[in-house]
Amino acid sequence: MKTLIYIEIENGNIQNGSLEIMSLAKTLSDPCAVVIGSDVDNASDAVSAYGIPVIEVPCDKVSDDAEVFILNQIIKDEKPEYVLFAGTLKGKDLAPRVAARNDGACITDVIKADTENGVFTRPAFGGTVLENLKFSADTLKVMTVRSGSFEKLTQGEKAEVTKKEYALPEDALKVILKDSVKEISEKVDLEGANVVIAGGRGMGSKEGFAMVEELASLLGGEVGATRAAVDEEWTTRIHQVGQSGKNIAPKLYIACGLSGAMQHVSGITSSGFIVAINKDEDAPIFDVADLGIVGRCEDILPVLIDEIKKLKGL
Amino acid sequence: MKILVLIKQVPDDVVKVSLSDEKTPDIKNIEKIVNAMDTYAMEMAVREMEANGGEVVVASIGDKDEIRPSLVQEIAVGANRAYIGNLDVSGADEAALSAELLSFIRKIEEQEGSAFDLILTGKESTDEISSQVGALLAEKLSVPFVSSAIGFTKTDAALIVKKETEEGYDVLETTLPAVLSVTKPEYDPRYPSLKNKMKARKAEIPVIELEKAENKVTLTGYDEPAKREAGVKIKEKEAQDAVQKAMAILKEARLV
Ligand SMILES: Cc1cc2nc3c(=O)[nH]c(=O)nc-3n(C[C@H](O)[C@H](O)[C@H](O)COP(=O)(O)OP(=O)(O)OC[C@H]3O[C@@H](n4cnc5c(N)ncnc54)[C@H](O)[C@@H]3O)c2cc1C
Repeated sequence: MKTLIYIEIENGNIQNGSLEIMSLAKTLSDPCAVVIGSDVDNASDAVSAYGIPVIEVPCDKVSDDAEVFILNQIIKDEKPEYVLFAGTLKGKDLAPRVAARNDGACITDVIKADTENGVFTRPAFGGTVLENLKFSADTLKVMTVRSGSFEKLTQGEKAEVTKKEYALPEDALKVILKDSVKEISEKVDLEGANVVIAGGRGMGSKEGFAMVEELASLLGGEVGATRAAVDEEWTTRIHQVGQSGKNIAPKLYIACGLSGAMQHVSGITSSGFIVAINKDEDAPIFDVADLGIVGRCEDILPVLIDEIKKLKGL
Repeated sequence: MKILVLIKQVPDDVVKVSLSDEKTPDIKNIEKIVNAMDTYAMEMAVREMEANGGEVVVASIGDKDEIRPSLVQEIAVGANRAYIGNLDVSGADEAALSAELLSFIRKIEEQEGSAFDLILTGKESTDEISSQVGALLAEKLSVPFVSSAIGFTKTDAALIVKKETEEGYDVLETTLPAVLSVTKPEYDPRYPSLKNKMKARKAEIPVIELEKAENKVTLTGYDEPAKREAGVKIKEKEAQDAVQKAMAILKEARLV
């Protein structure tokens, strides 16, 4: 039996989550990666270096409709047992459609796999409850996998790349891209960051939030934010951490002036060490913090920033 | 345009859900509300109707008495009519639910005497967070699907949809009928006026009986995530002292 892995390419590189599903695939059954796009020779090569055979499908006009069609053709040819997607926006768009088209089933946001018993675990209710789920035996099993839940695969012996071409019928393409508007130009890698400094409504203003940004830059980390801070427009949506933002797993996470709502906390529980700074001693963020500082951010952060500067000889 | 908005009733998302003694999510005593993203879908549909005419119908599947308040709420927000699909869906997976929704929609269209041009769902629900139902439904209906919609406009021949992306938004063109899953747009859902609320309370909401579809995923049990232990809490009068203590701990753990 085979496990198909849908590989996502970001600026020519394999997206982090795709490396993580490769290692899950290896524990399920015979993995086989699918790379779809124009000019993806390098990407397919890179995937094959992990010892996983690759089906490369050239496609000039990549869209959800096109990719669902192509994946469906590959599923007809390869008859996999599992199809895995990284739990990105794109993965979550494609996975249920691929499942439905094959009368299969889909599990969203898998964080743990008991491969022996075929039981997969996913969070529900803002991450406060975990569901253990089992697919029916004779169904196509499709999953999206939450980032940071599995180790990235390390490289192995180079495997084969097979090129396949599929003609896209006109009527398969129902949604046409007219324009792609970039409002946010910064590149932010919250999922891959070792250090994330996040700010919430308690930062009080754009100027206040700038302290979070300064501390992040001093520690070589990324800036995270709660939805409240994004709504206040102190930073952009791309920085949001939590249920409708990014799930992160840095070694060090510093939460500044944020309460610790479950929709935020569900995105940070895989962090190595959590520091919280909050003026309210009873703020729920302290329940998950390894180190809590009770105090006002405008008092604590300038001193902390100075100390870090001293430490770095700045 | 004739728009159908599908809503789900969920436990209030600000209340933390934990497991009961029977190891199931303890949601009995949590107030039920309309799923957050469904309220955005509803607001989006009502704004379209206010600007360009048409109709908005709202519908939901669940126990007929339990979910009525949510439908009443959305009639007060501006839906013209509502339908209840009477079925216990507590154990249903997404495959079953989308099959049940499909037959529900067909029955509503039969009663209405016409088909819907556009079907809106929330991008995800706050209880299950699976973001599948809109996509599954579109596939079952064999109609176009766009997720994460933050707005749409109808032109003579097409539907133009704004879809939220990581860096901004895509502008997509498609045909009707279509299914969109809606995420938080730039506006918030309105609070219905007291007058509309009073009126909605008296609304007659037809109940359609539905049959259970088969699950493709079964639940073997629930767990709670490993608890993170709260660690050291520093409380000093002077920021200087607090930071000194914190720095000592961070240095010791080689984190700075
Ligand atoms: C469907 C859905 C999805 C969501 N997804 C997300 C998500 O992905 N990410 C997310 O973050 N949220 C999300 N939310 C929102 C979430 O529920 C909370 O509303 C949000 O996280 C609160 O942000 P906050 O902690 O910054 O603000 P608040 O809850 O207002 O907390 C502010 C905190 O700052 C403290 N404070 C105030 N002033 C100071 C000061 N001077 N110094 C120190 N501390 C101070 C206060 O004590 C308080 O604890 C979602 C909600 C829903 C319904």
